[in-house]
Formats: sequence, C-alpha cells, structure tokens
Amino acid sequence: MTADNCETDRNGAAELLDSLYLDMFHLIEAHTNCRVDIERTNSNGAILLARTKFQQGGNSIGTAQIPTENSAEFNALCRVVKDSDTGNDVTVERLAVDKENGYVEPLHWFSVLPPMSLRNAADKFKKSIELVAESTNLQRELNAVLNGIDRLRRCAALK
Amino acid sequence: MSSNELDSETKLMAVIGDEDTCVGFLLGGIGEVNEQRQSNFMVVERDSSAADIEACFKRFLAREDIAIIIINQVYADLIRATVDAHVLPLPTVLEIPSKQQEYDSNKDSILKRANQFEIPWRCSCIT
Repeated sequence: MTADNCETDRNGAAELLDSLYLDMFHLIEAHTNCRVDIERTNSNGAILLARTKFQQGGNSIGTAQIPTENSAEFNALCRVVKDSDTGNDVTVERLAVDKENGYVEPLHWFSVLPPMSLRNAADKFKKSIELVAESTNLQRELNAVLNGIDRLRRCAALK
Repeated sequence: MSSNELDSETKLMAVIGDEDTCVGFLLGGIGEVNEQRQSNFMVVERDSSAADIEACFKRFLAREDIAIIIINQVYADLIRATVDAHVLPLPTVLEIPSKQQEYDSNKDSILKRANQFEIPWRCSCIT
C-alpha cells in the first residue's frame, strides 16, 4: 500500500468517525429528552393514582390488588414487536381485552367501576409505555453507534 | 434466535420498580403471569434486598420472551455492577426515574459508556 492510499484511508476513517460522533451526540440528546418525557408522564400518572387513593381509600390502589405468581395466569395486553416499517426498531402492539383467552382488563383489578382518575392514570402510563419503546430504539441505536466508534478507533489506531 | 435481534414473535416488557411504577405499568397492560407461574414484574418493597433485586433482574435477563427491562434508577444503582455488565442490545435495560429520585444521566449505563469515548484530535470536522 502506498503512502497516499494509507493517508486516504486514514482520512476516510476520520470522516466516518466524525459522523459517528455527531450521531452519538444527537442520540444522547434525544435519549435524555425521552427520559425526561417518561419522568414527566409517570409523575402525572402517579398524581392521578394518588388522587384515586384519596377518593377511594389509601389501600384501594397498591400491591395488594395486583396479581402475584400464585394468581391465575393471564396474558399481557401490551407487547413488543419488531416495527415492520423500519425493520430493526421495536414498537408496541396493544391487544384487545378477551377474558376467555386470558387477556384481562387491568383496571378491573382495582375496581369494578374504575373512577375517571384511575382511567386517566392508565392512559398516562400507556403513553409512558410508548415512550419506553421510543427510548429503547434510541438506546439500541446509541449502543450500535458506540460499538461502531469503538471498532473504528481500534482499526484506525486513533486512540 | 440470535440474542442480538428481535425475531418476529411478540415479546414482553418487564418492570422492577416501586409500587407506583409497577401499578402504573401494569395498568398500562404490560403485566403477565405465564403457565410456569412466572411474572414479569417485581414490586420492590422496603424489606427487599439488593440480592432480591439482582436475582429478579438476572431472571428477567435469562428469559427469552422479555425484550425490555424497565428498572427504576434508584434500584439499578443498588445492582450497578450487574446492570453495567449487561451490554447486549436484547433485552434492553431502561433506567427510569422514580418518586424517590429524579433521572440522573450521569448514572445511566449507556451514557456512562458514551462518556468514556473521548473525541480524538484527528477527527476532521469537530472543532
């Protein structure tokens, strides 16, 4: 390999590294913003849960009402699937309530007639689950970029 | 299935958190108790130890039907070495804030890893 070729390869590697670093910074920013959104959404949901406890009684919403490993089996209504559009990303799939096949409505663990505040809290946490899926995609992309930077730096001996 | 890729099956989210976090995500519909009586959630109580949390976290990591593990950052801090040791993309571990502690990006495993990469002087366009 000539000195010119070697220099061209090094410049190419440096440009690719620049591009990966810029991607990394953009992804870090998006990742942090997404976590802040999750924090805000969860806080709003927690306030609505607290309002429900205030209205229905302190023990109405808590660990005592949620199923345990000794409860009858049931299936998750909300599942993670591969996004058919992008291929690598994940997205959330929401299934319909079907009690006979084990898809139960979680609101009914807490109340037969759930108050509006509890329904609104559930909506907030559904939104949070969407944000979790978004954050997962960002984190996986960031992980791939970090792996790329690591590999490139090793190859180009730029450390 | 490759451990680094999500196949065509649907998978679960799992949650390790305080009461409000678990109740909230369960209200959102992620909870499941399967035929083997395994649940995908753990409510961390006052008497739960770091060893309990770590055992549950490792159990979730080993399950092939779990794609995302959500954990309150305050509990991830208790088992930081185990959380940091998991670098595979699947299952993805997401540290989220809780009532007790707001989100601190300096403690997040993936961002700590990003901070380890210093920008070399040879990069061409970063000024």
